[in-house]
Amino acid sequence: MNEKLLIIAVVLPIILAVFIPLIPFRKRAHMEIYIEAVVILTSVLVFLLLFNRPEELVMLRFTEKVTFALKIDGLSMVFAGLISVLWPIATLYSYEYMSTEEREQPFFMFYTMTYGVTLGIAFSANIVTMYFFYEMLTLVTIPLVIHIFTKEAVLATRKYIYFSIGGAALGFMGMVFLIRCGDGSGFTPGGILNGGTAGVGMDLVLLLYVIAFLGFSIKAAMFPFYSWLPDAGVAPTPVTALLHAVAVVKAGGFAIIRLTYYCFGTEILRGTWAQKVVMVLAMFTIVFGCSMAVKETHMKRRLAFSTVSNLSYIIFGATIMTPAGLLGALCHMVFHAVMKISAFFCSGSIIHQSHKHYIYEMDGFGRRMPWVYGAFTVSALGLMGVPGGCGFISKWYLAKAALESGNYMAWAGVGCLLISALLTAIYMMAIVVRGFFPEKGFNEKSIENVKDPSWQMILPLMLFSIAIIGFGIYSAPLTDFLTKVVNGVF
Amino acid sequence: MKEIQLAIPVFYPMAGALITYLIGKKSREARNYLADFIVVSEFFMLLYGAVCLQGTESILEGVCGMGLHFTMDGFRGIYGVVAAFMWMMTIIFSREYFRHYRNRNRYYLFQLITLGATIGVFLSANLYTTFIFFEIMSFTSYVWVAQDERKESLRAAQTYLAVAVIGGMVLLMGLFMLYTSVGTLEVSELYEACRNYPDKRVLYISGSCLLVGFGAKAGAFPLHIWLPKAHPVAPAPASALLSGILTKAGVYGILIISCYMFYGDTKWGSMILALGVVTMFGGAVLAVFSIDLKRTLACSSMSQIGFILVGTGMQCMLAEENGLAVHGTFLHMMNHSLIKLVLFMVAGVVFMNTHQLNLNDIRGFGRKKPFLHLTFLMGALGIGGIPLWNGYISKTLLHESIVEYSGAPIFVFVEWIFLISGGLTVAYMLKLYLSIFWEKNTDAAKQVEFEGMKKSYIDKQSMFAIGASAVILPVLGMTPVKTMEKLAGISQGFMLMHEEPHIPRFFGMVCLKGGLISIGIGVLVYLFVIRTVFLRKKAGSASYYVDAWPKWLDLENLIYRPLFERILPFIGVFLCRIGDSLIDSIIVLLRKTLYKDCKIPHRTGSLPKLDAVIGTLLDKGAVYLKKREESVSYRWKLGRKALERRESRDMIRFSLSYGLQLAGIGMLFILVYLLL
Repeated sequence: MNEKLLIIAVVLPIILAVFIPLIPFRKRAHMEIYIEAVVILTSVLVFLLLFNRPEELVMLRFTEKVTFALKIDGLSMVFAGLISVLWPIATLYSYEYMSTEEREQPFFMFYTMTYGVTLGIAFSANIVTMYFFYEMLTLVTIPLVIHIFTKEAVLATRKYIYFSIGGAALGFMGMVFLIRCGDGSGFTPGGILNGGTAGVGMDLVLLLYVIAFLGFSIKAAMFPFYSWLPDAGVAPTPVTALLHAVAVVKAGGFAIIRLTYYCFGTEILRGTWAQKVVMVLAMFTIVFGCSMAVKETHMKRRLAFSTVSNLSYIIFGATIMTPAGLLGALCHMVFHAVMKISAFFCSGSIIHQSHKHYIYEMDGFGRRMPWVYGAFTVSALGLMGVPGGCGFISKWYLAKAALESGNYMAWAGVGCLLISALLTAIYMMAIVVRGFFPEKGFNEKSIENVKDPSWQMILPLMLFSIAIIGFGIYSAPLTDFLTKVVNGVF
Repeated sequence: MKEIQLAIPVFYPMAGALITYLIGKKSREARNYLADFIVVSEFFMLLYGAVCLQGTESILEGVCGMGLHFTMDGFRGIYGVVAAFMWMMTIIFSREYFRHYRNRNRYYLFQLITLGATIGVFLSANLYTTFIFFEIMSFTSYVWVAQDERKESLRAAQTYLAVAVIGGMVLLMGLFMLYTSVGTLEVSELYEACRNYPDKRVLYISGSCLLVGFGAKAGAFPLHIWLPKAHPVAPAPASALLSGILTKAGVYGILIISCYMFYGDTKWGSMILALGVVTMFGGAVLAVFSIDLKRTLACSSMSQIGFILVGTGMQCMLAEENGLAVHGTFLHMMNHSLIKLVLFMVAGVVFMNTHQLNLNDIRGFGRKKPFLHLTFLMGALGIGGIPLWNGYISKTLLHESIVEYSGAPIFVFVEWIFLISGGLTVAYMLKLYLSIFWEKNTDAAKQVEFEGMKKSYIDKQSMFAIGASAVILPVLGMTPVKTMEKLAGISQGFMLMHEEPHIPRFFGMVCLKGGLISIGIGVLVYLFVIRTVFLRKKAGSASYYVDAWPKWLDLENLIYRPLFERILPFIGVFLCRIGDSLIDSIIVLLRKTLYKDCKIPHRTGSLPKLDAVIGTLLDKGAVYLKKREESVSYRWKLGRKALERRESRDMIRFSLSYGLQLAGIGMLFILVYLLL
């Protein structure tokens, strides 16, 4: 296909989104149709591009080594494919949710623009382009977090900005080094340093890797830079569900994979102290996130901490620095996206229907909202890694990769995965059990007006639940594809 | 079709469960019939499989990640049939038992899914498949325990789930280790792979992890805690399955580890043996103390699992000469399943009529109920190890296998513990039997009510379920060589035994001696311990059973709950707090020290000079033009504007976005500098 289409796919949602507040829609439904059309159009375009991949598109050439270029390779296919499937569904869901919120039009404008920016990250062909879109992502999501303009929202946004800017500064250092010492090509499997570090000492290279890693890990909410994510849960649920469980945070994970496997290259990193540092951080975050989730009683914050933990699964897979580790990471990236978005949508439905935010207020809801709680149970079991759900598959691959790597630290990582699975069971099942089995003496009358939401909310939940179980039972096509990606076939 | 034929009995009930659930929303009758149909057809399907499909394999490539692998051999076939039989009987019995229950739809849904999962465990040909269905089984059976949603049930269910989840995780860890070390999880390849693996330490560690996982489900000490809690609160048909077959799924796993990974390994054998002895004896003692019908039966299950573990341990100890142990283990597994089926269903009948389980409340319930009396007696005689009933045969085999191993004096001790545990079994069954079927209730009115239930206490279907299950026990027991030894012979290949076994003379004096010693001990314990210590006299003439077990001596409440609810969370929260406040405190520290806000300079009210001059001029001009004093002063107006400007300029200068802008511009400069 024509490579110009790459930039069109990125720019299309951004430009068309600008018109959302400008067009005087007579009915709300018209706006809904317009937005959905934009999103679906983009998704279709993305899929066309994924199946007929064009050549690299170089848009600007600043210097020999610094270009602004877009390209689709295997990793882009995974990430772009993931978000282009989830975005239309999430948009559909957000209509009903946002119907009770104010300032819908600016909200949807930024929401749709984010789609284009995220695609930009996925399609970036080199670190400069990715950095550009990465910063764009920060800017375009700020209005979404601050949307409700309460004090907490403002504070959370401030925190988000601080963290992101800090991350940008750290990532920037890595970028500059890579421009300086790399061979000037875009992302290549195996790295762009070509073994040579251009006279820079090895320890300095590793230090720069760790710095850049930390910089990009901020979006992936890795310890110690996680705390913006739970706070950002004040945003409307479509934002927390799609952006803070998939698009933004996965972009962080994606960037880390790019940095590790496609820029620095695992050859020079494997077995060094830098690998140990980042792996320990990831392992610690896995357990830490879960522990915080167990402690938390606010539903969305609990899920956010769960995201913190699960993102570190992805990072942990990446830090194993073997192809198998990358496979586990990608697998979890896809599966976690589906499971967590489903869990968030369930929590959003509960909030929308009952205006309850705390878990202890949700006794017996399972009886009144069987569809929502059914979907939540499926995603909970999936996140725990119960066989039959897709979480089990990705955890299996991760653990297998860790054990096969022969790195003894990775063995400890398997222990962390298991402890985390146990903690996940505690914090997810607590919600499910409360929902279905309230203690005797519970007054069912008190929740009489709680009921399942309309089909617009239920449909995405059902799709996700089917996907969770479906992938759990039969995931061979996907894992085959991911294996090809990992082996650099694409 | 050929490739997936063994997967059908696994997935058929699961699919059926969903249909049953949907139909149940419309019509209860139709649902009950459909559930009956599914379990009966499942039973025949497995029977056909066990007979005609010996040695076949089914591999579902790529399903659940690594693919599922089922196989059919003697042991798996027989156990599949036993499982399906138990489900058939309990589902038939459930119809009457659940007549007055809520949420029956849910019950049937999970009952049938668990059936599929359990069959999946027993037909699995690799440990990966075992694990998958094992986990599904654990989670779906959770709902059974929580079925009636009382506080105790939820608490017991919580314990059950916790043990299942923790056990599952440890099991998974063991699987990972095993897989990465020996490179296979196929049961048939495991023996060779483990024998050739040089580093035994890794095998012991992974084997122990697997043992914890499977042992938790089997109810082995010290992870038996869920058993005595979950059984009494679960509905009786579910308790029958929990104790009769779900625990056996755990034993199945332990057998795989012991027979394939550690064949003839004395160290491993003694560990299992020690575990078995503790479980066997501990369970029996708990059962003697218990005064709750179902709790007694549950503790009895624990004790019988101990017997089975003793057999498993002996298999490893005896290596090639383990014929007696292999047969004993297998037969005791099967017998225990069948016996507990009967006993729990009888307990179900008691509960369904009285809604009580405490021995003092249900005392005398069985009087003048010949059917119930007879069936309970069959079960009691079976489990007590009375000659001519099936339990005797398997216990004798186990006993003989201990006698056969003349390794160390410690085995005299093991043998005596074995006999004493058998004796305690007789004692607690005597206690149950006599109190329910012979003694009179202390409340005379209640007794009259009990005796008044002539026919109405049970309907035809339930009678069939209980009766048919009970008949099997003496039939097996009276024809040991023709039936039981045959079955054991068919299944021995699973435990890697291939030669012709040596069959002891079951009714010869040598064998009878062991059984008789046990019975003697049992009667003595009953007469001198239970009747004197546990049966207290009240002020009047009435006597009652007391729960003499000290309340505080409960492993769950003494250790596990405080550990998992207090100590570990405390440590966890403590560490989390530190982690959570790490960045924030660094930021606060920095803000107080390095990055202090610079003070916004204090401005005096004086106007900028230029503004003052222009303002004065304008004022003067206005006065000059209009020829009179103006009320509005331009000087004042301009001054205010200037102050506003200054304020907003300060605000920008000290604001975040200004800082950001500067940072961004700075970065741009660095970039440009670096590039040029």
